[in-house]
Amino acid sequence: MRSESEEERKNATIDSRFNQTLRNVQGLLKGRSFPGKVLITRRSDPLDNSTMRSPDNHGSLRDSETGPSQQSDGSVEDEMQSRNNLNASPSASQEKSSTSNSENTSNEVQKPSIGSRATDSARLMKFTKELSATTVILEKLRELAWNGVPSYFRPNIWRLLLGYAPPNSDRREGVLRRKRLDYLDCVAQYYDIQDIERTDEEINMLRQIAVDCPRTVPDVSFFQQAQVQKSLERILYIWAIRHPASGYVQGINDLATPFLVVFLSEHVEGSIDNWMMSDLPSEKISDIEADCYWCLSKLLDGMQDHYTFAQPGIQRLVFKLKELVRRIDEPVSTHMEEQGLEFLQFAFRWFNCLLIREIPFHLVTRLWDTYLAEGDALPDFLVYIAASFLLTWSDKLLKLDFQEMVMFLQHLPTHNWSHSELEMVLSRAYMWHAMFNSSPSHLVS
Amino acid sequence: MARRPDEEYDYLFKIVLIGDSGVGKSNLLSRFTRNEFSLESKSTIGVEFATRTLQVEGKMIKSQMWDTAGQERYRAITSAYYRGALGALLVYDVTKPTSFENVSRWLQELRDHADSNIVIMLIGNKTDLKHLRAVATEDAQSYAERERLSFVETSALEATNVDKAFQMNLSEIYRRISKKSLSSDDPAHANIKQGKTLVIGAEEIHTNKACCSAA
Repeated sequence: MRSESEEERKNATIDSRFNQTLRNVQGLLKGRSFPGKVLITRRSDPLDNSTMRSPDNHGSLRDSETGPSQQSDGSVEDEMQSRNNLNASPSASQEKSSTSNSENTSNEVQKPSIGSRATDSARLMKFTKELSATTVILEKLRELAWNGVPSYFRPNIWRLLLGYAPPNSDRREGVLRRKRLDYLDCVAQYYDIQDIERTDEEINMLRQIAVDCPRTVPDVSFFQQAQVQKSLERILYIWAIRHPASGYVQGINDLATPFLVVFLSEHVEGSIDNWMMSDLPSEKISDIEADCYWCLSKLLDGMQDHYTFAQPGIQRLVFKLKELVRRIDEPVSTHMEEQGLEFLQFAFRWFNCLLIREIPFHLVTRLWDTYLAEGDALPDFLVYIAASFLLTWSDKLLKLDFQEMVMFLQHLPTHNWSHSELEMVLSRAYMWHAMFNSSPSHLVS
Repeated sequence: MARRPDEEYDYLFKIVLIGDSGVGKSNLLSRFTRNEFSLESKSTIGVEFATRTLQVEGKMIKSQMWDTAGQERYRAITSAYYRGALGALLVYDVTKPTSFENVSRWLQELRDHADSNIVIMLIGNKTDLKHLRAVATEDAQSYAERERLSFVETSALEATNVDKAFQMNLSEIYRRISKKSLSSDDPAHANIKQGKTLVIGAEEIHTNKACCSAA
């Protein structure tokens, strides 16, 4: 256990680093001190402080999900209420050191740049408005979702962002119905058959999936339910059969879990600890599985070579991460190199499982809001998230030797993380992306 | 790499754990290094690392162990870790015949990617699941003899033979290396007795250049 003073010190360091980074970015934005032409954003924001929106307006949407019961609430009212509670506590942003306080203090850091920051209820209204449009404008939805989606809206928004549900509301229901039937057909055709009808390769794959399902998110009791594991098995097997170029690769089981939890949240009440898959009728389960299957497919379509032979896509990201870290934090980069630490030794799993293994499960859906909002740009942005994640511990890393570093990085102390730490990682990733992505040679000596 | 004063050791050996997915490699390692076993362990993605220093044949030996993912897709990643490894623990599950049948494929992997003199130990894990045993001890024993591997059966869950398995492997590496160092016709190891510490098998960059001669 960390002592409180240590915790405070740590946060003070993080804050000061964060502020420093923020000042740098703002300076660069305002003073136009970038050498050459710099595109600050891929989005349509004007080139002013509002491009820094990532940290400012996220605060509102996480509150309802800070506990293990994150996915459980089903009402907008709940969200608004819990938010009001937080608003009622003006000192909340000063108490970051308490891990029980889930409110994000980076709000405070950003305050000067907020300006006409929308209120939380206005933000909820925005979600409602975007979702109720005859044709959802995905770009707008992405902007909103990047900073976190209220759990109530999450299933619909994820389906839209992934291009599984069509933006046109008239067509939506029909498309989903067809896709769900399609999945059901696949299960009948590929899964509900005897082994004798399968090739050796398929038997091997099914065996591998069956080995992995019981050890998927084993620290969350919900995933220990036999029916949950069966659902996972079906989803993964159908995906593997239909994607023969990669087939099932360990770690893809982790990637299906956020979808399962989010699409289940539409049908069950209360905390995930009390969810019982067996309470659901089989048609519902099959619909949920279908949504998981299609969304997993859509997600992985953008990362096809991450799971093919030798996983070139992941190797590429690991390489990019190393380069980026060298540009952002020379001392850490040099230290790692001197110690002989290879990025592949820790970052491989990060990219292979999209950081699911590295943070508490109750934070994963929030992280995925940003992933899905990034859409096609996700692989590139992942590098920035990973750099930001790694450099959360830059001071610590400098003090470790090779062995200590490998073990530290493979077992990062994130168990007590709340949303604030995650938001910090995302905000910094956003800033670094703005600083470095469009200026490949910026800060390179 | 700077050595910490509290980490005195005479030798540094790099070991890899290989074998099919789900045979218990990670739990064998955690039992050996931390005396822990978890029924809720996750699959290993890529490689994981652990270390333990212990006395073998009167010497302090630090073992750097790389636990690898069992799935075939990861071979390209994991086989990179075979290089420089002095020992390999090839694990199968005594309740899963396929994991035993695949042992020969793993041996081939080692022949293709590891140093030719790597010390290999065959380990039949999960002996606690007596009622589910599907690979006879004798079969594995005779296979090991044919392939000239050491062999032991373990239970990471009950902590049976786990230390012994690692110790046997480390001793054998030690004996092989000391024997080699005594033979003068091996220039690569000629000055092994000059330095107090011999760092062997680690990647070049991890070696202590002042006294290392074998990397």
